[in-house]
Amino acid sequence: MKRWFKALSAGLLALAAVASAPKSAQAQEIQLTGPLAGAPAVRKLRLYREGRFEIAPTVSFTLLDEYRRTIFAGARLNYNLTEWAAIGVYGAYGAASLATDLTTQVDAKSPRYLGPGSPSDPKADPPAGSTAIRNPNVAKSFDEQTARLQWIAAPQLTLVPFRGKLALFEKAFVDTDAYIHLGVAAVGVKDRKDCGAAGQSKCSADYETASRVAVAPTFGLGLTFYPSDLVSFGFEYRALPFSWNRAGFDTRGSGTDGKFPDGKINSDDRTFKFNQMVSIFVGFSLGDRKTSE
Amino acid sequence: MKQARWWLLLAAATLAVPTEAFAQNKKAPAAPAGKPAPAAGAPAAGAAAGGVVDLDAPGPATGAPAGTNGAAAGGAIDLDGPQPNNGAGAGTGGTDTGTGSICDIDPNAPACGKSTDPAKSPALRVLKPDVYAVQQIYALRKNRLELNPYWGFSLNDQFVSHPGPGLAVNYYITNVLAVGVNGNYYGSFNSDSEFNFQNRRATRLAVPLTEYLAGGNLNFTYVPVYGKFSGFSNFIFHFDTYVVGGIGAIWTKPIAVIDPDNRKFEQKMKLDFNAGLGLRVFFNRWFAVNLEIRDYIYNEQLEATTISKSSSDPKYASAPERDPSTWYGQNSLTNNVQAQIGVSLFLPPSWEYRLPK
Repeated sequence: MKRWFKALSAGLLALAAVASAPKSAQAQEIQLTGPLAGAPAVRKLRLYREGRFEIAPTVSFTLLDEYRRTIFAGARLNYNLTEWAAIGVYGAYGAASLATDLTTQVDAKSPRYLGPGSPSDPKADPPAGSTAIRNPNVAKSFDEQTARLQWIAAPQLTLVPFRGKLALFEKAFVDTDAYIHLGVAAVGVKDRKDCGAAGQSKCSADYETASRVAVAPTFGLGLTFYPSDLVSFGFEYRALPFSWNRAGFDTRGSGTDGKFPDGKINSDDRTFKFNQMVSIFVGFSLGDRKTSE
Repeated sequence: MKQARWWLLLAAATLAVPTEAFAQNKKAPAAPAGKPAPAAGAPAAGAAAGGVVDLDAPGPATGAPAGTNGAAAGGAIDLDGPQPNNGAGAGTGGTDTGTGSICDIDPNAPACGKSTDPAKSPALRVLKPDVYAVQQIYALRKNRLELNPYWGFSLNDQFVSHPGPGLAVNYYITNVLAVGVNGNYYGSFNSDSEFNFQNRRATRLAVPLTEYLAGGNLNFTYVPVYGKFSGFSNFIFHFDTYVVGGIGAIWTKPIAVIDPDNRKFEQKMKLDFNAGLGLRVFFNRWFAVNLEIRDYIYNEQLEATTISKSSSDPKYASAPERDPSTWYGQNSLTNNVQAQIGVSLFLPPSWEYRLPK
């Protein structure tokens, strides 16, 4: 009887200890079971995109430029098929093309004539009878020889995997989404015209540039902030990798591996550049904003 | 000793008491089969004496006195039930003692007979169901140490790249302000670029180049932006954005380009200032990945672009190009902008909130 009672007491004690263990997880741990199991991560989400048309004027700045930086004025048009997917187009015109410090330095210091008899002033012409030869890589005005981005037109798909909110200074709160975009861009490029081949002018006499269209993939990511149902603002990063002759140099075409100058300017002299730009925009959304369940 | 069993039983009974208090009384058992359900308007069984608060129960027939609708002392309160007609005052159920009445909760309720502007009734106010605030910050930083190993690479030097590892250690004095140090090592990772070669060959110009050895800084970090995202409407992650700035030193030297046969530069320490912007995404409460853009600004002494023909030091009279004092040219304020990608480990890894919500 005594042993039975002791065993019963011990069992009850163990049962009580188990029962007194905390019954709930700590704050904000994700509930994998219970009434919230299977519930959506967010309820009553303000749907700023779904079924709405958006027009967003943009200002874009190229990044990490070697010879010229470009400021684009443009716009992005999007129709949001769902809250997380949109189709649209981005278009921009190169409103300003500014020479970098490197361009200015090359323009000021690079010798236009090479060899014996070349003048000490890098921009001066050699005296008559000099055997100096004209440098085919640097025009009298190097600034005008460098390539420019003129315009961009990019049909694109926008995906919005992340949606949330942020607190600024722990006072102001704003709905935010993070998106990625990808598409194909047609880029208007003005780089050095072909020269040096049969039927073309000599490269040491012709430093003109010519326009062409380059096709490139475009992709990037951005953040949109929604202070109201109608107006949003944000910034985005865009990559536009393609090959172009940014300085107008003859750098390739001869030698066993083609990595030596061949006296001609052509597509061989275009080098790959991971062109990058950042845009800021103000968006206007048309149509009624919905709310999720 | 003989009474030990009783003490054990008492201890077991004590522990078996529920550890959570209950705000509501136990639900009354359902009426036995065969017994008729209470008539509409009559107090529900158990409601008159500490009955159940059943928010979903169907309401009584129209016209039933409010007091019989569970508003009696300790009775059931059916918030979804239809309101009585005019004239059916509160407490007309006969069992209403005034305690537990809806009028105690909302004196301006229509059932209480006060003639108030219905539009001002709290129950009739239009609620804004949207929630704006971050209710409980997921990853608190105050009094925690952040270890941030990262890999940095230069963004704005097209001639020489300066990648390398780094480590930042920050201590958060408040939830938004930290003081810390960071160090970068560039050492053998400096590399001359193809672009430098092509540009030099085409323009016949040599651009003075610089290589870095290492750097160290004392920094302050401020976290003005904190937020959370839902990913694919499926999971939630938290992030913050911070600004950082500080002062320190960087060890650099020119790479001899103009006269590499004679010039051998030594590393020199320079004062630097830095400012940056970072984004940190939390995977849990103590582990995050971060991306930071930091500009280290210092005054660089570049290699002289000309070879001196004379020296003030008699020792180098016959070979002035070997005089180290002639090797340096102009000073240039240099921005070493670098991206730093790394992880953040917060210690201690956990904490307790002061408030549950």
